[in-house]
Amino acid sequence: MDKTLIIGYGSPIRGDDAIGPLAVERLVERGLPAGVEAIARHVLTAELVTELVGRERAIFLDAAAGGEPGAVQVHRLEPDADAHSTMAHFLDPSELLAWCRQLYGQAPEAYLITATGACFDYAHCQLSPVAEAALERLLEQVERVWVG
Amino acid sequence: MSRTITIEPVTRIEGHARITLQLGEDGRLEDARFHLTQFRGFEKFCEGRPYREMPALTARTCGICPVSHIIASNKACDHLLAVDIPPTGEKLRRVMNLAQIVQSHALSFFHLSSPDLLLGWDSDPATRNIFGVMRQNPELARDGIRLRQIGQTIIETLGGKKIHPTWVVPGGVSEPLSVEKRESMLRLLPEGLEIAKRTYAFYKTLVPKFKDEATHFGTQPTLFLSLVTPQGHLEHYDGVLRVKDAQGRILEDQVPPEEYGRLIGEAVEDFSYMKFPYYKPQGYPQGIYRVGPLARLNNVQACGTPYADVALAEFHMLQDSGPIVSSFHYHYARLVEIIYGLEMIERLLKDPAILDTRVRARARSNRYEGIGVAEAPRGTLMHHYRIDDDGLITWLNLVIATGHNNLAMNQSIREVAEAYVDGNAIEEGMLNRVEAVIRCYDPCLSCASHAFGQMPLAIELRDAAGRVVDRLTR
Repeated sequence: MDKTLIIGYGSPIRGDDAIGPLAVERLVERGLPAGVEAIARHVLTAELVTELVGRERAIFLDAAAGGEPGAVQVHRLEPDADAHSTMAHFLDPSELLAWCRQLYGQAPEAYLITATGACFDYAHCQLSPVAEAALERLLEQVERVWVG
Repeated sequence: MSRTITIEPVTRIEGHARITLQLGEDGRLEDARFHLTQFRGFEKFCEGRPYREMPALTARTCGICPVSHIIASNKACDHLLAVDIPPTGEKLRRVMNLAQIVQSHALSFFHLSSPDLLLGWDSDPATRNIFGVMRQNPELARDGIRLRQIGQTIIETLGGKKIHPTWVVPGGVSEPLSVEKRESMLRLLPEGLEIAKRTYAFYKTLVPKFKDEATHFGTQPTLFLSLVTPQGHLEHYDGVLRVKDAQGRILEDQVPPEEYGRLIGEAVEDFSYMKFPYYKPQGYPQGIYRVGPLARLNNVQACGTPYADVALAEFHMLQDSGPIVSSFHYHYARLVEIIYGLEMIERLLKDPAILDTRVRARARSNRYEGIGVAEAPRGTLMHHYRIDDDGLITWLNLVIATGHNNLAMNQSIREVAEAYVDGNAIEEGMLNRVEAVIRCYDPCLSCASHAFGQMPLAIELRDAAGRVVDRLTR
């Protein structure tokens, strides 16, 4: 099992919401270093817990809806002990980490890297220019984090 | 003064809904209703699209059971093509459909309903959730995650992705199965079956604790509708329709799915965006029937796999005689079907013919009308299309599993509210039981919001005091 797991998530048909999965696509195309695995998902589901357990580091990639479009931010995540999902097929990263800790006694060191989108309309299958430009900056941040 | 209690949103279900309980001056229940508050419109916006797009379009109805829509939609397209799909193509579709049922049932039981079953209806709502289950029984929570993962992995292995796979196509499937993929799926099954058996054994020990709920959670007599094999065994992919009544009498049998319109009428009400299907010979609203795991098990003599048949016999013993009428036992039926699904997947994958490379029949449309019916996790799913000479959709109708149960769900919340809700001293546990009876049906509301004819619409204009000053209806 690779030490680092990157999970990019979002809808591919909701404009800039696709930035997480597209970032994963780009990373895989360019080639991942040894010890790093990257996967894309529409949403975060409970089964990802078993993918996270045993990893040293997890990097979540997502679009953000608030703030200046194009802004890229890196957040350190902790398991959210207060989280409780009512929809078990849609979780947030901190909740997933809490599931890891609660069920398996461990959770990886985790980061959330976001790029603020400009357009989340339905049936948009391309990134907006501002999100497209942010994608490269997001990838730079991913490399910084996985280098540690 | 009369009062209305609103439970909104209804939690731990798929989609968005509201329950209203109308109480009289004496605090006793006068009426109870289940409202689907979201509207979609697949029946309208799919008009004019090529029929071959229907599997991909209608799969977007749901993120939980896209596979069920893909299967029913492709069966409707097979009907339009007027082809018999190759036997291996059918077997592979069956594997995917059963994997979908396993993962969806696991979500319902472990994630959505186990907080009530393990922690109790009257427990603190702040901890009555999946985290509460993790604290009390972490092995059960881990099993739930793993079982769902096994179902999802089989779907992904076959279809290339877990959600909205495009491998099932009109006429069969797009690619045959490789030896490597078969072996990778077979490796998952012993663990899955072990989890399913362990959970089933554990749940059997819990059932006696819920005697009270089992006698009040949807025990009004209804009919049961499902697909069965021509021999009367459990069937999720093909077969014929059967309707049985609460006394166990078979009212309809060996009905080809294409004739569903002879059995089922559809009505609409102004308080919900969910249709109200009913059994036509008994009329509306008397023709109440249930679908899904409870109905499927009530309608059959055998499952056809070893361990599931033992569990089916035990299921039938939940009651002295006749079909199991309590909707509370949907949970039990779901666990039996998980076992069946895993056993049947193993049987299908071990069949040497599963590796045959002829998996797709090719043809252009040869009919103007196509109907596809399959069993989704929540019940019988029907896709019905009409096309023109260019293969464009001119009309479609979707009868969704959760919709079939609409009349029964409304009846059930009334029954539970009458049994548990005291309008003079409302407690959270009372209202949670009203929600819990809905969870028994595991409704999927994003699926169930569908149009039929002119949907009723009411617009109210209220003044600052909330008084209705004008009302427009159509």
